[in-house]
Amino acid sequence: MSELSTLQKEQVVTAADPGNVDSVLKELRKIVGDANCTASRHIRYAYSYDMSFVKPKLPDYVVMTEKVEQIQELLRFANKEKIPVVPYTGGTNIGGLTIPERGGILLDLKKMNNIVDIDPEAHVAVIEPGVSHAKLADALYKHKLRFGWPVGPPSASVMACAVSHGIGGLNAKYGLNSQEITSMEVVLPTGELVRVGSCAIRHDAWHSCLPLPQLDGLFKGWLGSSGVVTKIGISVHPIPPLLKVFTVSCDKVEDMYSYMLNLSNYEMCDDLTAVSWWLAQVPIPYPFRPKPNDAPEWFSFATTTSWTEKEKEAREEIWEKVFEEEQKKGTSIKRTVYPEEALKGRTQLPSQVVGSTKNYCKQGGAGISWPGTFTPAKVWAPVYNKWKDILIAHNLSPSVRMSMYRGVHYGMLRAMIPFNKQSAEETENARHAIVECLKVDLDAGGIPYKPPIDFANEIIKRADPGYLELLRRMKKFLDPNDIMNPGKLGI
Amino acid sequence: MDWKIAELKELEDKIWRCTACGTCKVAYDYGPPPTFGEICPAGTEFGFEGFMASKGKIAFARGILSGELPWDDELLEAIYKCTVCAGCQNQCQLDHKPYIPEIIEAMRRKAVDEGVGPMPLHKNLLQSMKNYDNPYQGPRRVRNDWTRPFKKAGKPIKDLNDEPAPVLFFVGCTGAFNTAARAVPTSTASIFQKLGIDFGILGENEICCGSTAMRVGDSEEFKRVATKNLETFKWLHDERGVKTIISSCAGCYRAIKKDYSLSSEYDKVMEGIEVLHTADYLNRLYKEGKLQFKGELPWKVTYHDPCHTGRHLNKFIIDQEGKQLWKGAYLDEDQSACLYEQPRDLLKAIPGIEFVEMKRNRANAFCCGGGGGVMTGFGEWATKNASLRIQEGEDTGAERIVSICPFCHFNLNEGAKRISSQIKVHDLTELIDQVLVGKSDD
Repeated sequence: MSELSTLQKEQVVTAADPGNVDSVLKELRKIVGDANCTASRHIRYAYSYDMSFVKPKLPDYVVMTEKVEQIQELLRFANKEKIPVVPYTGGTNIGGLTIPERGGILLDLKKMNNIVDIDPEAHVAVIEPGVSHAKLADALYKHKLRFGWPVGPPSASVMACAVSHGIGGLNAKYGLNSQEITSMEVVLPTGELVRVGSCAIRHDAWHSCLPLPQLDGLFKGWLGSSGVVTKIGISVHPIPPLLKVFTVSCDKVEDMYSYMLNLSNYEMCDDLTAVSWWLAQVPIPYPFRPKPNDAPEWFSFATTTSWTEKEKEAREEIWEKVFEEEQKKGTSIKRTVYPEEALKGRTQLPSQVVGSTKNYCKQGGAGISWPGTFTPAKVWAPVYNKWKDILIAHNLSPSVRMSMYRGVHYGMLRAMIPFNKQSAEETENARHAIVECLKVDLDAGGIPYKPPIDFANEIIKRADPGYLELLRRMKKFLDPNDIMNPGKLGI
Repeated sequence: MDWKIAELKELEDKIWRCTACGTCKVAYDYGPPPTFGEICPAGTEFGFEGFMASKGKIAFARGILSGELPWDDELLEAIYKCTVCAGCQNQCQLDHKPYIPEIIEAMRRKAVDEGVGPMPLHKNLLQSMKNYDNPYQGPRRVRNDWTRPFKKAGKPIKDLNDEPAPVLFFVGCTGAFNTAARAVPTSTASIFQKLGIDFGILGENEICCGSTAMRVGDSEEFKRVATKNLETFKWLHDERGVKTIISSCAGCYRAIKKDYSLSSEYDKVMEGIEVLHTADYLNRLYKEGKLQFKGELPWKVTYHDPCHTGRHLNKFIIDQEGKQLWKGAYLDEDQSACLYEQPRDLLKAIPGIEFVEMKRNRANAFCCGGGGGVMTGFGEWATKNASLRIQEGEDTGAERIVSICPFCHFNLNEGAKRISSQIKVHDLTELIDQVLVGKSDD
């Protein structure tokens, strides 16, 4: 056996007692049928790893449900037997979020992939967990509607992204994708079916989580540890016919921050993002490669859409004003041509260029992970400069992205870090660098999203005791036997 | 004759280029308008990630190589529950993209080499190849049965064993032995006769192209028949003046064109011989104004792209020297050898036909479900999958579904029967034969 295989063998652990497998499987079969559950090793193996540095772990069973009632029955059974349950849609996150820390049942929701409703007048869509970005994009376009498509694979789940506070291409205009959720249907870890938002009052009203108490917060950002979300309503938006993407570059992160801050005050962009030279490359260089001296260190694309030429011209006028102001400040900002494939990959979403990880980790070899954070814009520059030192010291590219969220001067600061997953040493090197970066960001006021356990542990170290106690109480209240994706929150 | 057929271990570095991102799982195009479709027959049917597209198959390959997935009946079945249609390959953008079908078939080769594969029903097929030189357990004599009507009509087909001709019509086992697909060789030969093409067949001496053996992982059996065929082609060229090999079978065409090129002698043996699919050959003649149609076929027709004449013929541009990205990096693809437009152009040229596209077409066409040994190994599933494709055809409002592969033809017919569909399945040659003006009609 090769060195690699020994390593992998050590990494894959399982929690099941083989003696119990048959009896559990028998019960699972009663719930979902023979074809939808298995304890076969080769099937479990395919769920044991993802793109991240998180060590592979096998689930003990894989179950696919086709209807809500099956999920209820499954969770009642799992809760009674105290078997962990890990909800799974596309498995496309880069934080090991669906790698089962304690074995148990991997609940694959891909067969629940109905677009329940699209209301082209109310601009609300109701979807199940297995609906992919590609499927929804296809369906919405028929009504000339859109959603904030993320830079993930077209096969990724719209719902998983939204409930995990994922980002999308309309963040500067409408906020995070989780802020687009208008109602939810959830199966609690104890098997009860609950609804939050307007659909809790009238079954077919999916338009808003307000003005009721925002119980949707009990299921957003919990990484599948508080229940199984079975339907969500989301806001969808008309597609204006005119697209204009403003692109600039500069030499210093401070100059880019100044430009983005200025432009974001006008709240006119769908997406206002900057990427470092390393992230603008397709693919990101791995290992680290110095930027050519004559290349700018930062590029920005500000995506705007308009209904009329006059509206577009007005946006151009504002942008010209911002640009002139920034130049007058003596910054290094200049008009630029954004690298073609990278621009395409970031503005034509969903995208196979970025989503396929061609941009992210084609060169690295199988591995991609991140410090992905929500960070006040005013500390982007100092955090980036520290990240750059850390990443270069680890021979990794500082491939960083900064995005403004809905003009409130905080946003996404993240570094996409490719690595060679075939090598345990290189994987550990990436993990170490990423965690170091995360610590810097946490200490500067940032908060990670979709965090791997390594991050959760760092959050806990810094968190207010009152917050942690509340979190524990809520978790205990919702999931008394800690069956839902246990271990992921670090509590 | 040496053959360069990779073992799974040789592909290990490629296998580790897969990130498990899952882009391979759905057919998607940005457009606008954006288009989405399921692309993986096995994923659609069985659902679990291991069955799903290249992401799942790569997981199996990693586990098999590392020793974490020792052979058992379920794993063996799982690696054969794939039509090797390459729909997933069409979505992937990473460095292992050019090798995805090869990785899947290399797992099968490993299973066969280690004595655990292929599936029981495949073993019958391979034994038949050894006994009869065809996978249908058909006596050699039967291979010529389809030619009887020509003989009766006083238009016998030339036997290249005895006479020279510049064109070899390589009939293929499915057209010759599978009576439900027999219209394919008869229509092809009828068209050739109408056009006055000087062609011949190998008759009882034709042997299987080896495609099926290759698809189920028996590379030794493939090499045996492929070597024999290459020797025959050389002889036909040198002794019978054959300059063109034409096949109406997508599987034979792909095998001769692509799989045979894994032979060290391929370029030398095939020098002076062009290999064409009938659709391509007829389309050339049409473009030259040599096809004339009489009457009309007043039908609404859609077209099903066989994998073997479509995305299987993709050429991948790889940075061999590491000059653009790095050594072995996948750079781009070249679809110019894929027969996407030729059959469509011919269909649109037939008077009376209203042509409509299915949603999933060309490189994103949904496989009929019969490939990769699935029709033999898992017939019921193959039929079920074909019925999904038939339904997609019906959704266009088409009355007829046309293809250029006898394998697809047979399987789609079975799929249509399964759902009692009224849609009729045809080979392209059948339609052309109905309206083509022959020399004697002038």
